Amino acid sequence: MRRFFLVLANDIRRHLRSPWTLLIFIAIPLFMTALIGIIFAPRSEGNELPSIPVLVVDNDKGLGSKLLVGAFDADQLKKMFQVTLTDQADGDKRMAKGKASAMVVIPKGFTLDLLEAKPVTLLVVKNPAEQFLPDVVEEFMKTIAVMLSGAVQAFAEEVKGLRAMLNLKLDSFPWERLAPEFGKAQKKVVAAAKFLDPLLIRLKTEETRAAGARPPVTAYSIFAVILPGMAIMFLLFIVQTVMRDLLSDREDGKLRRMLTTPLRPLELIGARIAGGWIMGLLVLAVMVAVGTLVFRVAWGPFGYFLLLAAVAAFWTAAFFALFHALVRSRNQAGALGAPIILAFSLFGGSMMNPEVMPKAFKAVGIVTPNRWFIDGAALVREGRFPVLSLVVLFASGLVLLALAVPALRRRASV
Amino acid sequence: MLEIKNLTKSYGDVVALDRFSLDLKKGEVLGLLGPNGAGKTTLISILAGTVRDFTGTVTFEGRSLFADRSMKNRLGVVPQDMAFYDDLNAMDNLLFWGGLYDVPRADLKRRAAELLEVVELSDRAKEPVKNFSGGMKRRLNTAIGLLHKPDLLLLDEPTVGIDVQAKVSILDIIRSVGAAGTAVIFTTHQLAEVEGTCSRIAIMDHGRILAQGTLDALIRIVGEKDIVEFTGEFAAAAFSEALQDLAGDGLELLSVADGLASLAVADTGRIPKVMDRLFQRKLAVTDMKIKTPSLETVFLKLTGRSLRD
Ligand SMILES: Nc1ncnc2c1ncn2[C@@H]1O[C@H](COP(=O)(O)OP(=O)(O)O)[C@@H](O)[C@H]1O
Ligand SMILES: [Mg+2]
Repeated sequence: MRRFFLVLANDIRRHLRSPWTLLIFIAIPLFMTALIGIIFAPRSEGNELPSIPVLVVDNDKGLGSKLLVGAFDADQLKKMFQVTLTDQADGDKRMAKGKASAMVVIPKGFTLDLLEAKPVTLLVVKNPAEQFLPDVVEEFMKTIAVMLSGAVQAFAEEVKGLRAMLNLKLDSFPWERLAPEFGKAQKKVVAAAKFLDPLLIRLKTEETRAAGARPPVTAYSIFAVILPGMAIMFLLFIVQTVMRDLLSDREDGKLRRMLTTPLRPLELIGARIAGGWIMGLLVLAVMVAVGTLVFRVAWGPFGYFLLLAAVAAFWTAAFFALFHALVRSRNQAGALGAPIILAFSLFGGSMMNPEVMPKAFKAVGIVTPNRWFIDGAALVREGRFPVLSLVVLFASGLVLLALAVPALRRRASV
Repeated sequence: MLEIKNLTKSYGDVVALDRFSLDLKKGEVLGLLGPNGAGKTTLISILAGTVRDFTGTVTFEGRSLFADRSMKNRLGVVPQDMAFYDDLNAMDNLLFWGGLYDVPRADLKRRAAELLEVVELSDRAKEPVKNFSGGMKRRLNTAIGLLHKPDLLLLDEPTVGIDVQAKVSILDIIRSVGAAGTAVIFTTHQLAEVEGTCSRIAIMDHGRILAQGTLDALIRIVGEKDIVEFTGEFAAAAFSEALQDLAGDGLELLSVADGLASLAVADTGRIPKVMDRLFQRKLAVTDMKIKTPSLETVFLKLTGRSLRD
């Protein structure tokens, strides 16, 4: 038992010592929640948000700036922003006259610098006469900046996996033939690897803010609907990352060395699963805290939610224990992990509201942890005890665990 | 102290260990010398308890080495892989790996500090191991196996791929561990390493020990014969055939391959005759070396191959 705790403490210390991955995995869902919330939030007065006039000064005129400008033009955002492309002098003049809510200045060399992984700074000039609309623009730019630089960083391991897959012989895993779409996506991700350095895109804001408090405009309840779905998706990502030790220690001889000591295989396996569970809970706790403080999400009775979170983290740890027992190598784990998690999230309701999902999706969704966690969180929010979610997640988690432990033991003894 | 009897292990058709037997006394340092694929790692792994499904017995002080888990506290293993956490510093690695043995925490800390001193990493103790050079990593890898003061220490190629200085330092450690009473088995395919370090040398190939003893005893096996090595562009069959009737009587073909062959000769006076014959048969010999008896010639005679290939 002493050795169980030694391994557990060592693992957790190691994970907390390099917290960048964890932070990104926590930050992304929060920003995605913020973005979706801002876009879809029903306005309290019932009247539509006016289209926000934005000036864009494109000093770069490259692929990167085109993409950025294009982001304003995306389906849902078109209604929200009214974009005018202009040059620096004209933009300054118009801002001085208060003709727009904000002006975004894309610096010269933006595309090239990004490609060379040099940090770039986007300038957002806010109209001091307006209160809320300039902030929406700033928030939007911040989200774009973080998502672009952060997402790529967070998927570094996956990118590596995909890159390694490119080197594999087709006969060992014929991705290209099986899934041409996946092959295409893979090339994009590999290309995106150039942006690996975190927060390459920085935001600079210029403003002379008018005094006085601003009224909260968004209806916070929408965050409560979105955040649980995001939380379970990123719980899956984090636990997968953390439990990769099960594989990497096997690949580089550390597992074999451990087995020459008095440590029992079962103690080791137990510690690794417990480590995944604890890290998962930790991450959920941070997301819940931020959800409460920043998005003012009311989660419902704390005890109920804690129980639901504990069971969901347990399911996830058991699942990835089995996953890493079955998968052959780290590269394979990297290549298979993300698609599995994304499929869970798509069918389980992390990516769209179950109410608007096709029937077939919903039917598939019942085998995903996302679905049960989201349903459970909704019940807890209404103050009800999520019996069904707890039972389903715990029971299926136990089954996964029962399969995972012997499989891992078999792989431990060479 | 350690008795290995008839250890046999096969991987499918490959016999990695073939009725391998060996005795080892307290404080003895055994250098296990063998080419790649000889079965060295397999032997170490069986003793370390990470490879199973073998036949034969291993007893340690009269009890089976695999009798119970507490025996693992007596055993120190330094694997061929650099097996430790790259993202931790040297001290934390020592405390973690040492902690897996039954050593009181206070002793462990003192011992870790001592060992860092011995492997000359004290001033880098708080630095993440991923910044270390290959030689530093090897020294840490070795130190981890010594924390709990094992009675039997197994090292698998502990000096592979590092600079001379680190090599010397690791060999020094091995020697002093033996002097302190620990029985040591270390494997290598480098002759120079065993010569100065070991109290006993065993040469193995194809899963068995071909000869063992002190360096002097081993050299006596080849007797006073000199070894003559020929290189050039010739076919093995033609070479053998050319010298067929000269064989026996003070001349022995040790190994013949295309372009590389070696003979043992009782006296160098026979060499001109050999050369004559080779020229008569128009065998393109480009170089000839005479080697006086050494561990290398012993190895060549026993395994029929040079350690370099
Ligand atoms: N896991 C394994 N599966 C199949 N064959 C193996 C395995 N391990 C070792 N062998 C074979 O057993 C023989 C001895 O290998 P090994 O003990 O690693 O030799 P050495 O360490 O002396 O180079 C080799 O022929 C090797 O190919
Ligand atoms: Mg080996």
